[in-house]
Amino acid sequence: MRHLWILVAIVVVVLTGRLARRRRRPNAPAPSPRVPRDRRNPFGDTGLVAAREIRERLRGRVFRVVTVVLFLAVGAIIVVPTLRTSGPPRATVGVVDGSRALDDGLRAVAHRVGLTLHLVTEPGLDAARSALRAGTLDAVVDPARAILLDQALAANDTSARAAFVHEVSLSLGARGAFARAGLTPAQVSIVLGAKPLAVVSLHPAKRPQTTPETTALLGVIFNFIILTQYLTWTLMGVMEEKASRVVEVLLATVRPLQLLAGKVLGIGTVALAQAAALVVFALILGRAVGSSFVHGAAPLVGTATLVWLVLGYAFYSWVYAAAGSLGERQDQVQSLALPLSLPLIFGYITSLVGVGSGSPSTLLKVFAYLPPTAPFAMPALVGFGQATWWQFGLSVAVSIAATVGVAVVAARIYRRAVLRTGARVRLSQLRRAPSPTR
Amino acid sequence: MGLTRRFGELTALDELNFSVPSGQVVGFLGPNGAGKTTTMRAVFGLTDLDAGTVRWNGRALRAEDRRRFGYMPEERGLYPSMPIAEELIYLGRLHGMSARDAASASARWLERIEVADRAADKVESLSHGNQQRVQLAAALVHDPEVLLLDEPLAGLDPTGIDVIGQVLVEQARSGRCVLFSSHQLDQVEDLCESVTIINRGRLVASGTVEDLTTAGTQRLAVRVEGDRDGSWAAGLDGVTVSQIAGGEVRLVLGSTPSDAVLDAARAAGRVTKFDFERRRLSEVFREAVGA
Repeated sequence: MRHLWILVAIVVVVLTGRLARRRRRPNAPAPSPRVPRDRRNPFGDTGLVAAREIRERLRGRVFRVVTVVLFLAVGAIIVVPTLRTSGPPRATVGVVDGSRALDDGLRAVAHRVGLTLHLVTEPGLDAARSALRAGTLDAVVDPARAILLDQALAANDTSARAAFVHEVSLSLGARGAFARAGLTPAQVSIVLGAKPLAVVSLHPAKRPQTTPETTALLGVIFNFIILTQYLTWTLMGVMEEKASRVVEVLLATVRPLQLLAGKVLGIGTVALAQAAALVVFALILGRAVGSSFVHGAAPLVGTATLVWLVLGYAFYSWVYAAAGSLGERQDQVQSLALPLSLPLIFGYITSLVGVGSGSPSTLLKVFAYLPPTAPFAMPALVGFGQATWWQFGLSVAVSIAATVGVAVVAARIYRRAVLRTGARVRLSQLRRAPSPTR
Repeated sequence: MGLTRRFGELTALDELNFSVPSGQVVGFLGPNGAGKTTTMRAVFGLTDLDAGTVRWNGRALRAEDRRRFGYMPEERGLYPSMPIAEELIYLGRLHGMSARDAASASARWLERIEVADRAADKVESLSHGNQQRVQLAAALVHDPEVLLLDEPLAGLDPTGIDVIGQVLVEQARSGRCVLFSSHQLDQVEDLCESVTIINRGRLVASGTVEDLTTAGTQRLAVRVEGDRDGSWAAGLDGVTVSQIAGGEVRLVLGSTPSDAVLDAARAAGRVTKFDFERRRLSEVFREAVGA
């Protein structure tokens, strides 16, 4: 699907360009028969250019370093949160004036709440307090008086350790009350050993999950990093061809639009492959370590993020490629890229702030339909659960239409600027500038 | 035919007409700014023409025809960080070759231009001269029927000039059209059968080197024993002394027959040299462009 959108955009651009040429030259001769081409190259010159781009990018040291860094970062994001909660919860509990029955009771409660319990018999309450303060004990149970903790439990603490403390507290309180009510120890055991009524659910319980907003936040950051990296490569790739003058050799046999489309497609394919590999890696790793990122609505938000990565690249890549044709020196990269990156940065920050605030602002909702900002705003809206399928589709349609328009203008700029060497080309110089005839 | 290209007030090509026969190396000459590069770019569709058409085999040149052309632009252009052989294969494939044919042609041309041992190296690691050779191979890798080279000899050492010159002659002998521009007129005179000279976008001279250098007034180089200043020639009617150096007098004959000059020389002393000279191409060029 992702590739399809790019291909559709390219096909539309090519057809539009051809129609425009026909309109300008109504008496143009009929197309000439083509030179027999290599049948093993069904994608034509555009495919050859794209294949070279893919080879060169994969071979580059920068790509390899960036890929390793991204994989490490994604791995850390997935694994680190699980390290803090890894392994079953454990507790060491001191018992003062205990008995075998009490120990058995405590172990039964621990088993119910999923706590691995280690019981320590304490000689007296003072010694138990000391051990508690020293941190060698997590709690002290004195059945006649109290349960001692070093630090009070938070009201919303839902850990196994807190559940254990609450249940033991209730159990021992009830045991005292039953005794005071005159029940025999055997009767008390029967009452306290009562099995709870079975609770039957129609569906299995949901696993604890990360909120979709958190995944959306990661998606927004992910899109920004990937788009920034690959769009800059697109700009520099065009600039490199112009600076090395190889573009004149290439344009002697390849049409400007084919060269431009091949570059955009090639670099975009590498970007998508890298992004897809990162997502697959995250899913596999997440399942392996039991991360909550791969459950709940996260896959939906992740898919939306990838879709908008493709659309964002398709929209911006033409613009960056056209900008690359205006300059030829490395020191011009920043000045050319800065104005183009402003809407990108604006959309990114607005989306980050929106996700961080916990509710989508009106600005974020508007940005979700504007092609320059939608690659960040729409995944954020999906994370909030505030984008219906038709709203998502509408935004995609707007973005594709805008991409076609941008590509037509960008191809025109590229055609007129890429053979103008020397000083940086200004857009105003291109209005009546000569261009390759093809 | 009738190629015209204007850049604002400047007319780069002014109804330029010339043809390039196959089987010959044709020199494309002109002072800086004469329109040579614009002409070559127009052939490859790299610049629009305000008027005129480029024709090949009797019909207007089409985009697909250009795949059969080879081009070496004035400003050399190759991917600096790409391995040499891979770059040639890529360019061959863009001209419609299969991967296998392109690889085979690449290896053959690298061998021919004597850089086969550097096939896996990056272009940027080569010397200027070797980069120029690779650039020539890039123009030839797809076995073009027409070869247009803009200043292919510029900046080369004598060995490089020999290698590239041999390749151009071989290509012409095998029936290709070979047109190259150069300011090195001695090399052009050695390599080319024909030349086309343009100035300010217009054709000013065209023909075989033989015809152009022997056309016009007769030239003589005469040496008379004991004579140092050529005083014997000073009074000859219709004869212009163009140079006197080391006792040798160069004369440009007008209506005066050469026999009259020989008689005058004999009268001055023993004649040790009496040669008819043809013009150097550089003289033809200067005369044609009015320099």
